[in-house]
Amino acid sequence: MAAALSSWEAGAKSVFLLERNEYLGGILPQCIHPGFGLQIWGEELTGPEYAEIFIEKLNRTGVEAMTDTAALELTPERIVKAVNPQGAWEIKANSIILSMGCRERTRGMLQIPGYRPAGIFTAGLAQYLVNIAGYLPGKDIVILGSGDIGLIMARRLTLEGARVKMVVEIKNSLSGLVRNYVQCIQDFNIPLLFSHTVTEVRGKERVEAVVISEVDEEGNPLSGGEREVECDTLLLSVGLIPENELSRQAKIPLSPQTGGPWVDEDFSTDLEGFFACGNVASVFDLVDYVTLVAERAGRAAVLARPPQEKHILRAGEGVHTVIPQRIREGKDGFLFIRPQKSMKGVTVSFWEREKIFYQKKISICRPSEMIKLDLAQIPWPQEKGEIKVEIKGTEIQGIS
Amino acid sequence: MNEEFDVIIIGGGVVGCAIAWYLAHFDLQILLLEKELDVCSGVSKANTGIIHSRSYWTPHTLKGELHLRSLSWIEQAEKELDIEFLKTGALTMAFSRDDLEFLQTLKERGKIEGAQILAPREAHTLEPMISDKIFAAYYDPETRVASPFELNIALAESAFLNGVHFILGQEVVGFEEEKSIVGVLTENGKYLSRWVVNCAGLSSSYLAQKSGDNIPSLRPLRGEYLVLDRECRGLVHHVLYPVPVGETKGILVSPTTDGNILVGPNLEPAEDEDTSTTKEGLKEVEEGGKKLIPSLPVSQTIATFSGLRPTLPDRDFHIFFSSRFPSLLHLVGIESPGLTASFGIAEYVGDLLHKRGLKLRERSDFVIRSSFPVFRKLPWEERERLIQEDDNWGKIVCRCEEVTVAEVKHALLSSPGASTLDGLKRRVRVMMGRCQGGFCGMRLPFLMAETLGLEERRIVKSGRNSFYLGEETKEVRSGASLY
Repeated sequence: MAAALSSWEAGAKSVFLLERNEYLGGILPQCIHPGFGLQIWGEELTGPEYAEIFIEKLNRTGVEAMTDTAALELTPERIVKAVNPQGAWEIKANSIILSMGCRERTRGMLQIPGYRPAGIFTAGLAQYLVNIAGYLPGKDIVILGSGDIGLIMARRLTLEGARVKMVVEIKNSLSGLVRNYVQCIQDFNIPLLFSHTVTEVRGKERVEAVVISEVDEEGNPLSGGEREVECDTLLLSVGLIPENELSRQAKIPLSPQTGGPWVDEDFSTDLEGFFACGNVASVFDLVDYVTLVAERAGRAAVLARPPQEKHILRAGEGVHTVIPQRIREGKDGFLFIRPQKSMKGVTVSFWEREKIFYQKKISICRPSEMIKLDLAQIPWPQEKGEIKVEIKGTEIQGIS
Repeated sequence: MNEEFDVIIIGGGVVGCAIAWYLAHFDLQILLLEKELDVCSGVSKANTGIIHSRSYWTPHTLKGELHLRSLSWIEQAEKELDIEFLKTGALTMAFSRDDLEFLQTLKERGKIEGAQILAPREAHTLEPMISDKIFAAYYDPETRVASPFELNIALAESAFLNGVHFILGQEVVGFEEEKSIVGVLTENGKYLSRWVVNCAGLSSSYLAQKSGDNIPSLRPLRGEYLVLDRECRGLVHHVLYPVPVGETKGILVSPTTDGNILVGPNLEPAEDEDTSTTKEGLKEVEEGGKKLIPSLPVSQTIATFSGLRPTLPDRDFHIFFSSRFPSLLHLVGIESPGLTASFGIAEYVGDLLHKRGLKLRERSDFVIRSSFPVFRKLPWEERERLIQEDDNWGKIVCRCEEVTVAEVKHALLSSPGASTLDGLKRRVRVMMGRCQGGFCGMRLPFLMAETLGLEERRIVKSGRNSFYLGEETKEVRSGASLY
């Protein structure tokens, strides 16, 4: 919605917004908890409230929002094929902005052994069931993974009368935001076990128990450290994957680090005429940042600047991902860096060949929170080339 | 049901449904009893889905004989069931000179036109991703890949279409003598029939023992599998077998009819009906797969599962009449290649019953099944046409496999139709894609409840007690549609 709006405001003659749900807002309508909008509106909103701002703005534009519409095919020539109950559509566009978001990692991907009973849900699916459909996923719940949706659901399910027995996290540090830990876990006295994972699902028809095990630093279960926890539900909050099946069809080059297209500060991909914003490009921590990025993509899609030589950013030591990974000018826009580990006394360094040309000191960083820098504050080298971003600091474990 | 049947078939797996389909060609009153809520719920739901070629039949065994007999049915089955097996062909990979002898045996055993032993270079031309450690490979063009679900369900639908009665969710617990006929006792009833066929898979030896027959208990041998994302399509084009070391064909890598890659199975004894997967088993499967395809992208795994082979000690099929009930036929030990052999088994069962007196009068009004369109496989113009006909074709309910509301409704309302979420999965591939129900899991239970007129909380995944939803939340939800 933010990209469609900014495209319209930048003077696009026609903008089509294709949405597969019956309603706009993506995942926001089921995120009924507060915490959205602090960065850009300066106030705390719920997901539906945040979405509503954009829906109302969109209604005052000529953007054609097609809900209940599934985009099924995308070609490098910028033809999108979609279906909805009215028909099968073929739309050719000058610019296409990808904002398909991401999906949740599943039990199958983790290859958790055991039976395949009912009662195993991704946290987002459980969130939909509780907040939109009006059903609890179960009564006695174990949550695997300390990602934000898992933490939020621990609180939500507790408030709805379910028993959240524990949250287990394979790493030795939190995956989600600290504020979610404090407000959703600590305040409700829910046990959170670091360096633990689920190693077996028991129960043939419905989940009856899970086996949890302590793990070593590589995440391998330690023998003798297993115990059975009775429950009827296992929620998984174990990471998100940018949803780029359509991008692959259009042959847009993808980054193995982010799982999304390589983009520059305009969120223009390596394929001319295609832009990618939000979680389809890289999984963001805050919807506010997604919005900022989408607004840039929306504008750039209308300006359609010609291709040019760009700096190429590489994730160096301590860096999980950087986005954008291409710098066209570096005069405006943002750089988001996701660190690999929780660290204090942090220095972010920018290398051009063997030389550091910019450093920034930060007191603390965590994998769950992106470091946001203004591109304009970085003195980008004249000559376009490869630039390495590195984060160093003292590793910290657990919450603090 | 007070009527008396000509034949009662116990078990709705691929063998039971093939027998029902075969016998439905004749003028007979047939009832199929299945203990689970759907057909294709036991051994038949979890296997590699390969129609093994003539190179892979086992001489001097009943299973081998029925395997060969079955292959001559393939074309008729494809036509009558309106399904298509994928004629992928297979490569059997030898890693040493010693293995060469086995490849020769396969070639001589199959006598398949076009089959040949390939040098590594030639094998790599066919399958570029296979290990460069191979010594030679046997290429066989006859191997086919089936969807085990599609075949099983198509057989059931065709049988139903031609008058076979189905009672699902009713377990057979024993037999009773009723003059010259058999009384089949279930949890809550008794069904009478002149002839009874026990093809109850994992429960078949138990039922045979119940009828007073002397047969050893089945020894379930488990096999675990990995399913890789459809994005891996094109990685392999043929079924890849290793040269076997033990009693099975080994861990193979195979394309599926829907474009995924299947890796497995291993072989391990299992307790009872333990279909769980294990860390060690999955590791073994991964290693087995990587032996054939070193770059196998296991990180693209979307699901793991295990299946059970209902084996007897001699690893052969045992098909015999009960000593106490002369018209009760037991099929015990129908393991691999049970799917391949299913048509042959059906014909053989027909012959055995006929020899004991069952009259087989061929019907002139046998109806050919036509399968329901699969949206994902339709050309664009056809999609447009269908949406104009019924707008449910324009509602995508599963985005990974591109399944529409129209297909889901059809699967629910057809006969024998899906009454569980897994039943839907096996019919239209919802929840089977890369998000494993993360998206369609929000919609399907509600679409299902509405279509079938069921309470939402009664919706189950597979078994009677595998309820999908918990209690209602404190708040009342809005009246918006949930699919």
